[in-house]
This record gives sequence, structure tokens and C-alpha cells, in this order.
Amino acid sequence: MVRQSIPANLSALSDIRRLVHQACQKVGLGETATYRLILAVDEIATNIITHGYEEQGLTGDIVVSIEQTDRDLIVTLEDTGVAYDPRTRGIPTAEDLGKPLEDREIGGLGIFLALQDVDHFDYQRRDNVNCNIFGINLA
Amino acid sequence: MAFSAHLEMIDSEARITLDGELDAAVARQFRQAIEDAAQQKPKKLVLFMSNLNFMASAGLRVLVFAKQHMGSEVAVYVIGATGPVLNTLQMSGFHQAVYVQESYP
Repeated sequence: MVRQSIPANLSALSDIRRLVHQACQKVGLGETATYRLILAVDEIATNIITHGYEEQGLTGDIVVSIEQTDRDLIVTLEDTGVAYDPRTRGIPTAEDLGKPLEDREIGGLGIFLALQDVDHFDYQRRDNVNCNIFGINLA
Repeated sequence: MAFSAHLEMIDSEARITLDGELDAAVARQFRQAIEDAAQQKPKKLVLFMSNLNFMASAGLRVLVFAKQHMGSEVAVYVIGATGPVLNTLQMSGFHQAVYVQESYP
């Protein structure tokens, strides 16, 4: 079990990725699954920092917890920024993804990638804390 | 791993070599390289990605910016993208909007 508090700023994203990478190596997760989990965590952490804290004029931390269960590697990001469930964000449709780049909307891609990249994703709001929970199968 | 975006103009081609990890913290460096390239009014934008180890959606948004800023007539080439980065381009449909090649020219 790893639990570490990291300042919520964009320059700390690489530290979050490094933590997740180390945990993936420790449990022997394959390269592709490792990359998927890291990308998903990075995208949601970016959203927390940008929309949950900075755009609200807030500062704070992201608490990264990583644990191994019988079947999964679970990463949880906790923050005290504005309440936000990523699952409520409209994600690009197949039609959107087929558009020429010049006609693309800028937003929505990060959450789309995050939700696609992990085997399980959950969001909970506990005592004014956002909990974004990512799970990837170990088998 | 540190990120860098190196721009080189060759005739009417803007060639940008991307190295390291491209996340939201460093995407502005890539965007700056695109803006610098756009000032030269290139006919083609060639992005070398063989040493790009990680690309978040912030990198994809710069690709959208590049196309919107330079105009649809400027063809965008992505060269040597590695497995996971290429997979991100495919998942997001970008592989249909740019020319993806293993090597260049």
C-alpha cells in the first residue's frame, strides 16, 4: 500500500506517473496495461489540478493511494477541489472522433482516454473529498 | 523524462522532433513550436515522435490547434510513433486525420 500527498500543480504530474509506474513494476503488470493506467491517472489528475483547483482559485494536494487486491491494482486520487464526477462529462461520440482535426472540439478527450484505458473506474464524494478510483486487472 | 520540441524548417516543411513525456505541464512548449512554425507558413508539418515516450490528451489538443492554426491545406505527418502513443492516436481517431508513417520521407 502506497499513500502519498502531492502538491496539485501540473509540474507534479510526472511525480504521480512515477509513483504509479513503480507500483505497476512491483506487481509485474505488463507494459501496455501499465501505460494505460498511467495515462488514465495522468488525465484525471490534470483535470483535478486545472479545473478542480486552479480555475477555482484554490490550492491543495492530490493524495495518491495505490493498493493491490487479489485481482486488481487500484489507484485512488483524492482531492479537495470543486466536486466533479468525470463520468458526467460528455465524451466524444464515434462521429466526433471521425471529424477532421480542424472541426474538432478541444475538450473531452482527456476523460475519454481515462475512462477507456482502465478496466474499472469509480467516483465517490466523501466528506467534501473527491475520490477518483481506477482499477486494472492483474490477470 | 524531460520534454523537448525542436523545430527545423526545411524548404516549405516544418519539422518538429518531440522527445520525452508530453503532458499538460509541457504542452505549451509544443504549442510554441507550432506557433513558430506557423509563422514560416509551411506547406507541410512533419512531427517526429519515435522518442516520445508518453503523450496525454494535452498533446492531442496541440495537434488540433496546429491544424486549426495552420489551416486544413497544411498536411500533418506523424512519423515513428511508438506503440502506446500510436494507440492513443488511434483511440482518439487522430490517425484518420493525419498521415501516420513509420519513417520519413
